Amino acid sequence: MKQLKEKTEKGPMKEDLATPSQPCIEMQGVRVVFDSKLVLNGFSLTVCYEEKVVLTGPSGRGKSTVLRCILGFVKPDSGTIKLCGKPVCADTVWDLRQLVAYVPQEPDLGRKGTVRQWLDRPFEYKANRDKKENLRQVPDLFHRFLLPLELLDKEVTVLSGGEKQRVAIVSALLLQRPILLLDEPTSALDDLSKKRLAEFLGSRGDLTILVVSHDSAMLSVANRSIDMGKGE
Amino acid sequence: MGAVDISLWGLALYYGLLIIPLGAMLWMRVPIVGKTLIAVVRMTVQLAFVGLYLQVVFKINSPWLNSLWLIVMVCVADVSVIRGVSLRLRRFIVPLFAALVAGTALPLLFFVGPLLKRPGLMEAQYVIPIGGMILGNCLRADIIGIKNFYDSLQKGEKEFLLTLAQGARIKEAILPYLRDACEAALMPTVATMATIGLVALPGMMTGVILGGTNPVTAIKYQMAIMVAIFTGTAITVVLGILMTIRTSFTPYGVLDHSSFKK
Repeated sequence: MKQLKEKTEKGPMKEDLATPSQPCIEMQGVRVVFDSKLVLNGFSLTVCYEEKVVLTGPSGRGKSTVLRCILGFVKPDSGTIKLCGKPVCADTVWDLRQLVAYVPQEPDLGRKGTVRQWLDRPFEYKANRDKKENLRQVPDLFHRFLLPLELLDKEVTVLSGGEKQRVAIVSALLLQRPILLLDEPTSALDDLSKKRLAEFLGSRGDLTILVVSHDSAMLSVANRSIDMGKGE
Repeated sequence: MGAVDISLWGLALYYGLLIIPLGAMLWMRVPIVGKTLIAVVRMTVQLAFVGLYLQVVFKINSPWLNSLWLIVMVCVADVSVIRGVSLRLRRFIVPLFAALVAGTALPLLFFVGPLLKRPGLMEAQYVIPIGGMILGNCLRADIIGIKNFYDSLQKGEKEFLLTLAQGARIKEAILPYLRDACEAALMPTVATMATIGLVALPGMMTGVILGGTNPVTAIKYQMAIMVAIFTGTAITVVLGILMTIRTSFTPYGVLDHSSFKK
């Protein structure tokens, strides 16, 4: 108990990561109902350490809900979710979120401030303060995802959908977290940007990635795809 | 020298002035004539009762009765804020009551105690009008601030969830929304302070002058009341938001939509 408390105060540690033999993300019999509509019905999923999995399927089958359940944004009506062997619950979710980087579908970067300020913001949080050095990677990541550096001084409100998506991906990568959850990350990207993203994700053997996408570029880097229209 | 009394007949005739705005509203078909009439009747009945009650309260001048009167005023303000922001009464009545008490009591007690140096902190002549002025402004600020806070959170929920995913704790994640809410709630008071005396003579100052006091004393009262109002509104808005967080967010840090009336 004492050990658990100490870990909670310090945030997640390297040792919290699952070993390759353990599942990194585990969902068992997850059932989610929104406004009396059944979104997930006994959904189960296992993603191993460093595995890259793509969720596909028609709209309304709960693909985004799966990612939101993992982050604790949606509390399932029944079933269990484990991240690196630990159950996602009110006590653990705050620390477990620090193992995950998330890019939502059509990311909302807010109503004010520049791109630079938006990228800096997560490093003002207590959980990330010791990672401020990571911001040095911004030029490299911008170059990689075909974003001009001048964009850093632009207001977030004037960015196009594709720019917002790529800036959100850069922000997620800057946090250097071992698990990456991406919700339709290529929906607003052109072919070249999609290709760059796919190449990059494919080259990151150290990351466990769960992507919601129908894009062939994303499917090409996956170890496995799950069609939620049929179930796993 | 006190203010000249107004005869009831004179006052009744003065109400005749309302024919002008009501007539204009009817002519322009502004659809609030009914609401205006109800509001005028309510204002008249409420003030008549309060006037009679205050006469008794001032005559007895019991600290307990005065405190009870202030608590009743806070309760009414509490319910008005919750209704104004469309929150669930049961969940928010206690935290908002505490925020309103803190926002009203602190500047009020400093006003009556260290500033006016009254021997009794709960003298009816001071605590009821000054407390009422502070509380009235706290009520307005709370409605603006808390509504702004929860409306922006609901509109920007995607952004808010992303900040949680980025590692923000709840207090870090709500900070930009709290900042905007405070700005919205305090701006009217800031604007009033910036133009006071130039655009209009404020109610308190006018009241003190009508009561026959030297205008310089009236101005000092007005300065102190503006400080009290600004302090009170700032305290009540910040506390009001911080104290409702426990009931309006789930333990996972997600906004609990069942906290709001649809």
